[in-house]
Amino acid sequence: MKISDQVALAAKNLSRRKGRTALTVIGVVVGTCAVIVMISLGIAQNKSYDEMLASWGDLTQIQVYGGSMGVSVSIGGTTVSSSSSEAPPKLNDEMVETFKAMDHVIAVTPYYEGYNLQGRISAGMNERYQITGLYDLYGIDPAAMEPMGFELADGEWLSDSANYGKDTLPVLVGTTSGYNFQDTRRSYTSTKRQRWAGQTDASGKELPPFVDVNKDDMTLTLTDGDPDAPKEKTWKLKVVGTMAVNEKYYWTQSGIVLRLKDMKMLIEENNHLLNKNNNYYETDLTEYQNVYVKVDDMDNVDEVGEAIKAYGFSTYSMSDTREEMQKQVGRNQMMLGGLAAISLFVAALNIANTMTMAIYERTREIGVMKVLGCELKNIRRMFLIESGFIGFIGGVAGALLSWGVSFILNNLLVIASGVMMLLQSLGVQANLDLSFLMNSGMGTGSTMSIIPLWLVGVALVFATVIGILSGIAPANRAVRISALEAIRHE
Amino acid sequence: MAAIIRTVKLRKVYAVGKERVVALNDVDINIEKGEFCCIVGQSGSGKSTLLNQLAGLEKPTRGQVFIGKHEISAMNEDQLAHFRQAHLGFIFQSYNLLPSMTAAENVALPLMFKGVPAKQRLALARKELKNMGLGGRANHLPTEMSGGQQQRVGIARAFVSRPKVIFADEPTGNLDSTTTRQVLYRILEMSKQDGTTFVMVTHEPDLAACADRIITILDGQVQSNVVQSDEVKQKARDELFATIRGNLEIGGAAAREADAPEKPPAPAGAEKAKDKKHVYVKQ
Repeated sequence: MKISDQVALAAKNLSRRKGRTALTVIGVVVGTCAVIVMISLGIAQNKSYDEMLASWGDLTQIQVYGGSMGVSVSIGGTTVSSSSSEAPPKLNDEMVETFKAMDHVIAVTPYYEGYNLQGRISAGMNERYQITGLYDLYGIDPAAMEPMGFELADGEWLSDSANYGKDTLPVLVGTTSGYNFQDTRRSYTSTKRQRWAGQTDASGKELPPFVDVNKDDMTLTLTDGDPDAPKEKTWKLKVVGTMAVNEKYYWTQSGIVLRLKDMKMLIEENNHLLNKNNNYYETDLTEYQNVYVKVDDMDNVDEVGEAIKAYGFSTYSMSDTREEMQKQVGRNQMMLGGLAAISLFVAALNIANTMTMAIYERTREIGVMKVLGCELKNIRRMFLIESGFIGFIGGVAGALLSWGVSFILNNLLVIASGVMMLLQSLGVQANLDLSFLMNSGMGTGSTMSIIPLWLVGVALVFATVIGILSGIAPANRAVRISALEAIRHE
Repeated sequence: MAAIIRTVKLRKVYAVGKERVVALNDVDINIEKGEFCCIVGQSGSGKSTLLNQLAGLEKPTRGQVFIGKHEISAMNEDQLAHFRQAHLGFIFQSYNLLPSMTAAENVALPLMFKGVPAKQRLALARKELKNMGLGGRANHLPTEMSGGQQQRVGIARAFVSRPKVIFADEPTGNLDSTTTRQVLYRILEMSKQDGTTFVMVTHEPDLAACADRIITILDGQVQSNVVQSDEVKQKARDELFATIRGNLEIGGAAAREADAPEKPPAPAGAEKAKDKKHVYVKQ
């Protein structure tokens, strides 16, 4: 017997009792819809968490901490060390190269902050405008900036090979770096000593920063801090580009970025200057405190992180937080999905019931088919196709319905306010507090339910399989019906 | 001629409550190839049980049933299904057409189980229905047809796959006497044309009188197994069909009228069918 004939026969038998089929299908529709919507809520929540995390920091980045962090654990008298047993691993250039060679790693850069440097950046006549302290100075490998995901608003990237002139340091600035300058003619308590972005004067005109970093000459000075006869060394700063603001890195807004090698040079000079006082903690140049590793995809962050940890470093990435959040969402999803699955289970019982009834009704027909030479497997298959059909049709309708439900959920606010307007236009006094709806949007996105195509596919397959499974017992009953039923006289 | 159906010490015992009822007791029969065989007996004699055993619808308690070289009493259900597809046809007392299918689809059913493509099997079914004088009814549902017409569909269904053996369990039991004769006439005509072995259970002696072989069952045992001589059965047939001569359209005038608007009954074809019957029915 051809499979196409079996399908046609099953469809015909289903359409023979439309009412009952419809009722059974509705059960599956409700079940499928419930499962899809519940899972879609979880997916949407995960997505909004991801968006939230992404706004906090780069999800594909791992921070590696240097310093003597080598871990050694003592288990039952044997010392197990995560690195070579003697020296803890050094987070040095060699190690950075090792990281770069790892799979999935796009870029690696050490990250230096200038807070150990003693000095200032100055501009204007007689160094009137100054940034006191060099906290805004950052040293980054210029080659890594673009792959790390930074962007330029203007100008060009720093280059390790280009010649910028003697005693000149090329820098990248942020869009508001100029506001770091203070007017040293004003007293410390004066409100006019500082300006900030967006500040306006009495007439409402926006005040520019004291220094236009792109035009004015700026000088970087390192000093040993001697109040009487300070020993100082100066460099000219040359701005080659302006960074676009990257919300994940505050320093892209107001920082000043140096090439890594220049930063190292400054630290060396600083150590040299300060060493004369002999009372200063020398910045260690043999090891980085902080290295950023950029990974190609979120899903590989864990793998790379583990590989780095294996060298004995401690790391942090957003994906640690992400994982925890996803686990939480997963638990919720399981619970809600489980509840929804109950309705699908009831639908399965329904299908089994419908099929059993159909088989009772068709006992004689089945007997006739057997006498006419229909094979057992074909009888079984015909009924399984029939129950699978019920599941499939229910699945399709359920998926369509869940799209509708999802649309409504995602537009609750619009719909609710529309209904209110309608009610008001009809003269009904309706006061509904919609603020809870605003809050339910979870952070950034207001999408409550997301139904990806794979979920629809899985739901369809699942509904069909449930239909087939619940048809197994009735189909076996049909197979056991005796051919003698055909000749029984009533 | 070789025996196409053969039983060896066939015994069937039913358990009714705590009692055991012996329905068949050591039945040994042979039916020759191409024979028109009637099994007769009073109700409760075990004649239907015998037919069920012969057709493999029931397993015997003991003994064997052979059709050709095949021991069908030893076959499992799937082997039986294949065997039925290939070699057997069946006509029921209560027609047993599937109510959701048209006449043509019902006739095509055995071919569908065999895996014949839809177009081909429906064409064959229509041809078979035409032979039965039901060409205009091919697309009618069973509920739209009279008993005689339904049974003719049933006969067409039995013959459509050209089986070697056809079993019929009181095929005329639900029909009036005129229709009975018309139906029997058709059966006889078809099976002689195809050389089909036909085994029929009946309790009407005048129908049985037309058979090549009459097996009489009494209390589960073969009382007699008679092969009739040509003269005797020819006489019986002439007598039986005398009343319906010239009225071979089963269902009578009503059927003809219903067919008329769709397609005038092809007189040429009908004549041909009548010509053929002369082969064995002398008028």
